[in-house]
Amino acid sequence: MDGADSKGVLNQLSVLEVRARSRNTQPQQQCCVKELRAKAEALKIQRDQLEAEAQIHKVLHKLRMSMEKQCPHEEEEAMDEESENTQLLQLMARHTQLKDLLYAHHVIGGYDVIKTPQSKGVCMSLTTAYEGIYLDTYNLEIDLKHKLTITRHNIPPFIPLKDLAKQSNMQTNIRAFLDTLSLHLNAFTGRKQQLKFVKEQHQSITVMESNVLCSRLVLMFTVPRGKNAVLCRLDYTDHTRCLPTGVQFVCEDEELLDSPEWKKNCSLLKETPVHKALTTMKKNGSIV
Amino acid sequence: MGDATKRLLQRLIRRTRIQMLKTTLEKWDRLTLAQRQSMVFIQSKSAITEKLLSICEENEWTVKHIAELEMIHVMDNPNQGMWYAFRLMDPEDDAHSVELMQFKEQFKSLLHELVRHVSVKIKKHADEAIWIRIAWGDGFSQPNHLKPTYVVHYLQTPFVFVTSITSKQKPLLSQALTVSTRHQDLKNANLSGRKLTAIRDLLMQQYPQVFPTNFPGHTAENNQMESNPRRVKEQAGLEADRLRMAHKAFGDGMLPELESAVYELETKFNGHANGTMTDREQPFRCVVKFTSTNLLESLRQCASSGIVSTVTPLFSSIPRSGKNYFVITNKSHGSSSKTSNITEPQILDSKD
Repeated sequence: MDGADSKGVLNQLSVLEVRARSRNTQPQQQCCVKELRAKAEALKIQRDQLEAEAQIHKVLHKLRMSMEKQCPHEEEEAMDEESENTQLLQLMARHTQLKDLLYAHHVIGGYDVIKTPQSKGVCMSLTTAYEGIYLDTYNLEIDLKHKLTITRHNIPPFIPLKDLAKQSNMQTNIRAFLDTLSLHLNAFTGRKQQLKFVKEQHQSITVMESNVLCSRLVLMFTVPRGKNAVLCRLDYTDHTRCLPTGVQFVCEDEELLDSPEWKKNCSLLKETPVHKALTTMKKNGSIV
Repeated sequence: MGDATKRLLQRLIRRTRIQMLKTTLEKWDRLTLAQRQSMVFIQSKSAITEKLLSICEENEWTVKHIAELEMIHVMDNPNQGMWYAFRLMDPEDDAHSVELMQFKEQFKSLLHELVRHVSVKIKKHADEAIWIRIAWGDGFSQPNHLKPTYVVHYLQTPFVFVTSITSKQKPLLSQALTVSTRHQDLKNANLSGRKLTAIRDLLMQQYPQVFPTNFPGHTAENNQMESNPRRVKEQAGLEADRLRMAHKAFGDGMLPELESAVYELETKFNGHANGTMTDREQPFRCVVKFTSTNLLESLRQCASSGIVSTVTPLFSSIPRSGKNYFVITNKSHGSSSKTSNITEPQILDSKD
């Protein structure tokens, strides 16, 4: 009797236990379900957003393709719809096109433009390079109010910034201004590098005179036979070039300078960068 | 040997440290080998002075020789005395092609024309600077070598740095400089300091400046690498903002060591406490001077540590315009009434 009852009791207890357990898990499942449903909703919203973005990108891509194919005048005729949306999309497409252009320009070593964080201006950075090596970078901060004004820059004072801005008409044609400025800066850096190389690689040659703009160089050579000294004057009057416009030799022995060898040296110095020309002259035996 | 020569030499030795004297004498290279060997630099200064005076007699040096020695010394130690910056205005067309020899000859001849007795020495420094030493005399007396003026100029730049010049001598120097460099005028650049290298670097922009860029360099990465990732700084964002603001105004590297900045105020009094002062129409004249061993560095620290909330244009205009003397007035807006608000003070060039 007891055994049957206890079995019964045990059975009862185990049934109760099972019931209790199932009651515990049921609300958990419900919570899970709620959470999962919420997550699904959020994901759906995200998917819709992404779909919309992808759509805009497709349209932008199409617009950019058409922009690049046609010239700017035709662009306006091709767009029939005048809704704000299309105008906005056009602007966005143009914006991304410009950004890519700027990045490409930066990669090839041209100038880069970035919006200054607080003020209503842009900062243009011009890189300089010589013989494949990047050298100094110069920056210009320009304010974009009614009149373009240069507020801050780190361009050395012997580059005539204000004159260049006036001459190339910075207000209307900023591209021309930046191009000429870049020419001047690159040429200056090139000449400076050449002078540095001459001092490093040719220590037998004395630099008698130079200036901050590197537009004038006077070197003293020694001729192997007779130990005569030849003074060489290089004038770089065109500040947009790395090569001299004028080469002049001065020596006691005038006949030496009339020889074909030195006439060749003269044209060599006009056509090749100084340090390379000097190496060639040393190889030919003209100088020590 | 002249009295002037003796006095100049004595003064030079008195003002120079012994080690510096040794280097300068070596550079000057006018002592014979025997004389150089007989100079013992461990002795006291008076002994060295005696020795040098006797060598001076032996070699028959004149005051010009000693002036040359002094010039070499000053060229190597330019950060003494008070230097004033000037700017050449209105270049003519051929100002860019002025060359060294041409400048030297013209300047010397012009100055000799303007002043009857003057002694001019011109030397070129390795960094392309032209150093000029001028000993002024007048119609009656010989040049005074004990009070020379030193002038430093870089050709093809508009800047001239001058030390020890009187107001009578300035127009003569100005005329000689403007004609020989092909400019129209020489104006005060409102920048002065004891260190020539500092004012030169400020004007020629030879200190590192910070510009916004799409491709920030390695400085940002360095900062990130140094910080311990387990340490979280409480106001990191604000601190970064302050640092950026400080760097934008003053750059992020070594700054030129200016010692002072002077602001001359000619603005209307604007306090509420003092009624009589606010009622006055005339501007309240006041001069504010900031001094420091390195003024720009201390201003930068003020900004980056948060002592000042923004870098006012009053401070950031020091490196931007390359000046350390400003006159501040109110912008005039036509008629002014007693109750009108004080308009934005604006920074003017000094009257000069």
